[in-house]
Amino acid sequence: MKDENLSSKYKWCTLVLVITMTVLLIRLWDLQIMRGSEMRKLSEQNRIRVKKIVAPRGIIYDRTGKVLADTRPSFNIYLTPEDIRDFSQTVDGLARLLTCDREEIIEKMKAASGMPPSFPIKIKSDIPMDEVARVEAHRVYIPGVSIQIEPKRNYPYGASFAHVIGYVSEISDEELKNKKKYKDYSPGDYIGKYGLERSYENDLRGVDGEKRVEVDAIGREVRTLDVVDPIPGHSLHLNLDLELQLSADKALEVRKGAAVALNPKTGGVLVLASRPGFDPNLFASGISKKEWQKIALDKAHPLQNRAIQGGYPPGSTFKILTAMQALELGVINERTTFTCGGGFAYGNRVFKCWKKGGHGTTSVHRAIVESCDVFFYNVGLKLGVDRIHEFGTAVGLGRVTGIDLPNEQKGLLPSTEWKKKRYNQPWYEGETVSVAIGQGAVWLTPVQLAQLSSFVANDGKNFKPQIVNRIVSTEGKVVKTFEPVVNADVKFKTGVLKIVKDGMRGVVNEPGGTAGASRLQNVLMCGKTGTAQAGSDKVKLGDHAWFIAYAPAEDASIAMAILVEHGLHGSSAAAPIAKGITETLFKVKTVIKEAKADENR
Amino acid sequence: MRIDKRRYYHLDWYLIINGLLIFGIGLLNLLSATSSFSSGSYNFMIKQLIAFAMGLVLIGVVMYYDYRVIANQSRWIYLGGLCLVILVLIIGLAAGGAKRWISLFGFSIQPSELMKPILVIFLANMLHEKKRQNIPLSLKDIGKPLLWTLIPFVLIVKQPDLGTGIVIILVCFAILWYVGLKRSTYAVIFGVGAISPFFAWNYLMKPYQKMRVLSFINIDADPAGFGYHAKQAIIAVGSGRFLGKGFMNGTQHKLQFIPEHHTDFIFTVFSEEWGFIGSVVLFALFISFINRCLKIAMNAHDELGSIMAFGIAAIIWVQFTINVMMAIHLAPVVGIPLPFISYGGSSLLSMMISVGLLLNISTRRYMF
Repeated sequence: MKDENLSSKYKWCTLVLVITMTVLLIRLWDLQIMRGSEMRKLSEQNRIRVKKIVAPRGIIYDRTGKVLADTRPSFNIYLTPEDIRDFSQTVDGLARLLTCDREEIIEKMKAASGMPPSFPIKIKSDIPMDEVARVEAHRVYIPGVSIQIEPKRNYPYGASFAHVIGYVSEISDEELKNKKKYKDYSPGDYIGKYGLERSYENDLRGVDGEKRVEVDAIGREVRTLDVVDPIPGHSLHLNLDLELQLSADKALEVRKGAAVALNPKTGGVLVLASRPGFDPNLFASGISKKEWQKIALDKAHPLQNRAIQGGYPPGSTFKILTAMQALELGVINERTTFTCGGGFAYGNRVFKCWKKGGHGTTSVHRAIVESCDVFFYNVGLKLGVDRIHEFGTAVGLGRVTGIDLPNEQKGLLPSTEWKKKRYNQPWYEGETVSVAIGQGAVWLTPVQLAQLSSFVANDGKNFKPQIVNRIVSTEGKVVKTFEPVVNADVKFKTGVLKIVKDGMRGVVNEPGGTAGASRLQNVLMCGKTGTAQAGSDKVKLGDHAWFIAYAPAEDASIAMAILVEHGLHGSSAAAPIAKGITETLFKVKTVIKEAKADENR
Repeated sequence: MRIDKRRYYHLDWYLIINGLLIFGIGLLNLLSATSSFSSGSYNFMIKQLIAFAMGLVLIGVVMYYDYRVIANQSRWIYLGGLCLVILVLIIGLAAGGAKRWISLFGFSIQPSELMKPILVIFLANMLHEKKRQNIPLSLKDIGKPLLWTLIPFVLIVKQPDLGTGIVIILVCFAILWYVGLKRSTYAVIFGVGAISPFFAWNYLMKPYQKMRVLSFINIDADPAGFGYHAKQAIIAVGSGRFLGKGFMNGTQHKLQFIPEHHTDFIFTVFSEEWGFIGSVVLFALFISFINRCLKIAMNAHDELGSIMAFGIAAIIWVQFTINVMMAIHLAPVVGIPLPFISYGGSSLLSMMISVGLLLNISTRRYMF
């Protein structure tokens, strides 16, 4: 059945087929040959993502190797803008699953607006297991959301070490803007914000790794192509002692104050406690605005490290300094006496002694033991403020001690020059009377007084306080050891230090000593109480209680300064804390001895 | 039952081998396309092979009866098909927002697919007398075939299955052209054809269908939805380059960047893995197959067979062209399967019934 009509139809059909083939082939040529490389690149970008592997932060140990800060795995929620298909579906869905506001999510996204769209933005850290399960179950409906398991900082002792170890928290927008200093950081990274975490950020941080993964259309990881392992941060071995710190912290917990204990032979910091504190774990989990405001606006200032930032008049503890300098310069000697009748008239003012009836005729030893104010009024006047200033500065008072923590305060040790500069006024001798017993313009930090105590304990020599003993890499290699750095080394005339030390021993161990109640059975502790007036004459707040101490009396292994804000009396509020620390320290040693004795049996 | 041996001598082995080649490529490609599915690719393979086996039985049935006998019963076949299409609207199974399937004897079938060859038989039976007399069709003559096409068309589009609807309406016009039209009829058809898009846009199309058209015109109009998928499809095809990424090595489909990549978008999988070379071979196989259908139409014993064979050629050409054009962004996204290649039992059965018809016509070309 062939005819003209049919063959003409067939010709048309063939034409259509040829046109079809031509059009399709031209298009394919264009896509696969002309633009093939470009398309291949696009398909690679589609599927390959570079994901960061957060390096575990270095572990922090106490001097006996107990863990004070480590990392544990946590689940974090990330959002990759490029993978989002329907913005409100993903964002609203995620907000509902995490029970948070959609604004919170949008805020986080805005903060990372400078990053490429394939950069995963951290939305929420350390989410609980039930939220992990919920998000995982709804992954298909919220494209762009991913869950990462990452190391999270963990502080097992919480607030007890908050002021020494500090905390890590997500890097802030302001910090990120400082591109020079923080060029290795990206939004969502953790950074040490306080304490050792901040001082030793570069050692603790480590180097983040990377993995290239293949992802599917909704951003789920399908397989890993290659991995650059992260390098964990170095660990810190501290001079700090867990038992001692807990003993001090427990005693301070219900009050406000600080305790610092140093190893007088090295400057190693054994205890550095400050209360009130806060739980650093809150920051590491991504603190909420509410929690942050509660801490930041607390009138008790829990974010202040009183041990290095709190300035207080040192009160009678300062007499140690006055006595040493007066004896050294021959202003007084062992036998010099002054008569205390309970007060000291100077100019048109009467400076009272704390004991109303007075101490009678007093030598330097009794003056230290019983903390006679009148004796030191006299000494101070003879010595003059500038000689006190000169000696105090040499010991390390009124300047930063150089402890390895950020934002240390330097306190104030007045001098005539200082007053001229500061107020453009001459110094009045009456002011010297106050300064001699640690009142008036002088104010110091607990760590500085610990330095004073350490100076006496170590016979005229002290060291820069040092919290970190050594930095060790994960392979166990010691990266850096901190050798003791001498702060002050003063040669005294023979006998001078013995007089002062005997006085301090008497404070605790002699009848009538102001800290007699804190005497210990098995170890000779030496100390000096202080009760410093707080506030002005008009607003009477409770006096600050001070106690500086060292033990044992000979060849001391610990030197301390304890401050209890508004604790009223050094003898009753501060000294027992030093006693507790010393007891803990020496009890431990007894236990070890007994164990050895058992072995030999 | 006695089967005339002569038919075997005249079996069109060209068509059979050409079809098997396309189907074989499709099967291999399906293995890759479904490899990322949680149910496993062999599951899909087996289902497709079961459909193929059923298709072989149907080819046997279709070939057993003379196509003229089948054409004589075409009105009943047509009514049966129409009933199934109506049944879909009543008791249909929904999937992806559309009701397209019904469950029959434990199989879910898509009646709109079966409607394609049925309509070809029905229209051929209706028009072959006119063709024999070589009378160009007047406007009045095309009224009846158009009406019988529009009824299933409307029902199918309502499911909604716009793709199949478009196929049957285009095939209807192709058959009318093949039978022959008067000049005045051409004029009217072109006139109506020119204004119908505006009419469809304003009164018939659903918002999501309009969105598909808009994102075809401007691929960035809907970057999250259809535009996104169209873009990913182009990337898949383009990234295949000259030689392709290799069998089972396609990433675009495996990582779910492309929706329906085992059915309507299956060409992207093939082209990504086999590149330009593979695509040219596949195109050549299709063109050769269609050309063979046309040859059968030319050499058919009578006008009835000729129209039937041409109609089937038209079905395959329309589906192949639109499907590939959609995958390479030369046409808006519309659900039309690639014959023999796309996963789906009904589509394969419909194609194999058509092949049965073609073989029926070609083996009986010397019979009187």
